[in-house]
Amino acid sequence: MSTAPATLPAPAPSFAGYAPLADTYDELFSGPGAARTTLGPALTRLLAAPPDELARAQALAEISLLNQGVTFSVYDDLRGAEKIFPFCLVPRVIAAEDWRRVEAGIVQRIRALEAFLDDVYGAQRILGSKRIPAEVVLGAKHYLPQLRGVRPPHGVRIHVAGIDLVRDPAGRFRVLEDNLRTPSGVSYVIENRMVTKRVVPTIFGAARVRRVDHYPAHLAQTLRASAPPGDGPPLAVVLTPGPFNSAYFEHTFLARTMGIELVQGSDLCVDDDNVFLRTTRGLVRVHVIYRRIDDAFLDPEAFRADSLLGVRGLMRAYARGNVTLANAPGNGVADDKAVCALVPEMVRFYLGEEPLLADVHTYVCAREDDRRYVCEHLGELVVKAVDEAGGYGMLMGPQSTAAERDEFKRRIEAEPRRYVAQHRIELSTCPTWDSSRRMLVPRRVDLRPFVLTGPEGSWVLPGGLTRVALRDGSYVVNSSQGGGSKDTWVLHDDDPGARAA
Amino acid sequence: MIARVADHSFWLGRYVERTESTARVLQVTSALALDAELPSRRCWHPLLIVVGQEADYLARFGRDALGDAELVQRYLTRDEKNPVSLARSIAATRENGRSIREVISLEVWQVLNELHVFLGSDEADAMYEQDRDALYGRVQRSTQLCLGLMRSTMLHDAPLDFVWLGVLLERIGQTARLLDVQYHALIAEGAPHAVLETALWLSLLRACSGFEAFMKRSRGKVTGAAVAGFLILEPRFPRSVRYCVTSAKERVAAICNDGELAGDETVAKLEALEGMLRAIEPDELQGARVHQILTHVVNEAHATCDAIGRALVGLDAPRMVQNQSQ
Repeated sequence: MSTAPATLPAPAPSFAGYAPLADTYDELFSGPGAARTTLGPALTRLLAAPPDELARAQALAEISLLNQGVTFSVYDDLRGAEKIFPFCLVPRVIAAEDWRRVEAGIVQRIRALEAFLDDVYGAQRILGSKRIPAEVVLGAKHYLPQLRGVRPPHGVRIHVAGIDLVRDPAGRFRVLEDNLRTPSGVSYVIENRMVTKRVVPTIFGAARVRRVDHYPAHLAQTLRASAPPGDGPPLAVVLTPGPFNSAYFEHTFLARTMGIELVQGSDLCVDDDNVFLRTTRGLVRVHVIYRRIDDAFLDPEAFRADSLLGVRGLMRAYARGNVTLANAPGNGVADDKAVCALVPEMVRFYLGEEPLLADVHTYVCAREDDRRYVCEHLGELVVKAVDEAGGYGMLMGPQSTAAERDEFKRRIEAEPRRYVAQHRIELSTCPTWDSSRRMLVPRRVDLRPFVLTGPEGSWVLPGGLTRVALRDGSYVVNSSQGGGSKDTWVLHDDDPGARAA
Repeated sequence: MIARVADHSFWLGRYVERTESTARVLQVTSALALDAELPSRRCWHPLLIVVGQEADYLARFGRDALGDAELVQRYLTRDEKNPVSLARSIAATRENGRSIREVISLEVWQVLNELHVFLGSDEADAMYEQDRDALYGRVQRSTQLCLGLMRSTMLHDAPLDFVWLGVLLERIGQTARLLDVQYHALIAEGAPHAVLETALWLSLLRACSGFEAFMKRSRGKVTGAAVAGFLILEPRFPRSVRYCVTSAKERVAAICNDGELAGDETVAKLEALEGMLRAIEPDELQGARVHQILTHVVNEAHATCDAIGRALVGLDAPRMVQNQSQ
């Protein structure tokens, strides 16, 4: 039998004055001072936390991350400078029912994208059907025509995906973009959870949150299952560009928690179209490479000749089916921001289904009508280069200067295929701790769930990386642009009363 | 095991040991300088020789600065241009650890990272100004904790063997140079006052963490020959030259038995050095002979490190391994 505390904590002054923004969905509050009832009792203990407790927990969390060296590197900064990924201890909480819909939508989306890649690097039926414009697909920067006809072991290409979602003012999740090449951030999901459990154990324990720490085991299983058919246990490795890469922490984290080797390009070599690891005992055959380097650097023989990060001959070994690359090279054609706009068509074409997940309407500048509209409405739109990520190469129309808009107009006219635009979505907010004012403030968030796909199908990690734009009024959540992160709590969906009883 | 990983493991061991040794020598020398009634230069100059930075220091600060206790300490702790300052050694330790982050355990990494973060903090600045002994102590404890955690939380296989090999070879060099520099100074000065001579030998023993162990062996009799004999030949003292040479040889042999390294050259070098040490009679340890032995030891330790580097980096014709579980 559960026992109620003898005295309830004083009505939470931390949250009492919290006011969500107008015309914006707030993840935890339905109105000023009113927490979302759909989140049930999970929030009760959190809402009772006085400012002193939140301030202390926030400080503890920051020290903990610093001492553990949970860092990322920022380019254009001092070379190799490491920073802590800013962390806010107030979690983003997702109700079980909302999560079920997200999960089903993501799995459907990955099925469609896998079918699309198999088609683009095969018969190209969808282009023949005229359902989507061929020039947008074949003109994508990351389309690799030399891979046409190469089918990877078991036909899986998107072993690891990160799907960026935002929540509109109606509370509906929408896909902003897909990351099907080398999505990063999952290590912060797991580290954020460890820190949360350490600094606010009672608040966390009072909610019923689904665990995330089994991700590495699932990833290892996915990699092994995707190995080329053969005798004996397959050897999988993580391939990193090295300690100066912005995501190096994550590369080491994954290798360490999966118990497999972290290798650099120079540690591998190819002989007779097989890949080998150079060890102190000699060469050992490698079957699966979870590679965290871009396509262009994978193999100086096939792509950039100046790449020092890659492995000469790797693509020959891949084409022969002797090694699995996770993710498959050439996936960039499917997460190109112009192609992304066509995913609903893919769902209908390949699966004969209607998309379960909404997306954000995208103007593809390669289409003349769209281009004209974009150039006339730059001040209202968010313009993105189709082949950039991490918040680089984009124009935030509503906050831009006339000079910036002119510059983008010039760029779009020069290379229309390179640009897409979307109306700015009023991203949802989540209460976020402001250390200097010792109060909670609404800050905009997005969500990147992670999906693993092997021969047996897809698995979505219950949770994901919630990125938060820490600056007042900002919509840009990228860590390279001053964003931070939060722990993401996906709640169990059974009756919370059952546990107490 | 990846050859690059072996290389980083080896250097991780060397830098951890170097960091600890430098902090310890700074702590011991600070204590000695307080009441030894020696010229400041006589206390601090030898440190620069021991860490191999005399020429660099002279070029930057001049001969008159050899007795500047504050400058020598700053040079050996915070100076970013001195490659063996505590700051640089700790940064190098962490960088090697970070390069093989997936090989070392979480516990080990956390200690290394915390030490690095601490040394750059305001807290460390304040400690340096107000309680330097505590700062040197903290650096030593962190590195000792790190070495202990390696043995108690990591797999006892090739990477740890390489770390330990690095520790042992660094230790051989440190012990040999400390003894050599001190011995040389005492010989050059002629026989100083007996009380002072004893104080200097005891200080040397403390700098090698060997004071208590020596006292147990010698039953309180402190002579130059006894100290030299202990630091070079004592088979059961974990920082004596002989102990470290024997242990290093065992580590290389273990690595070779695992098939991880074609280390014939390294084993041969260490066996020859071990044989040379075994043949030394305690009464040989007088005058110039000590210097001669120690010079040989330091040179051979260097040559051994080079041989390991060649075996790792220069992996000539790679051998194909069919069965990994061998």
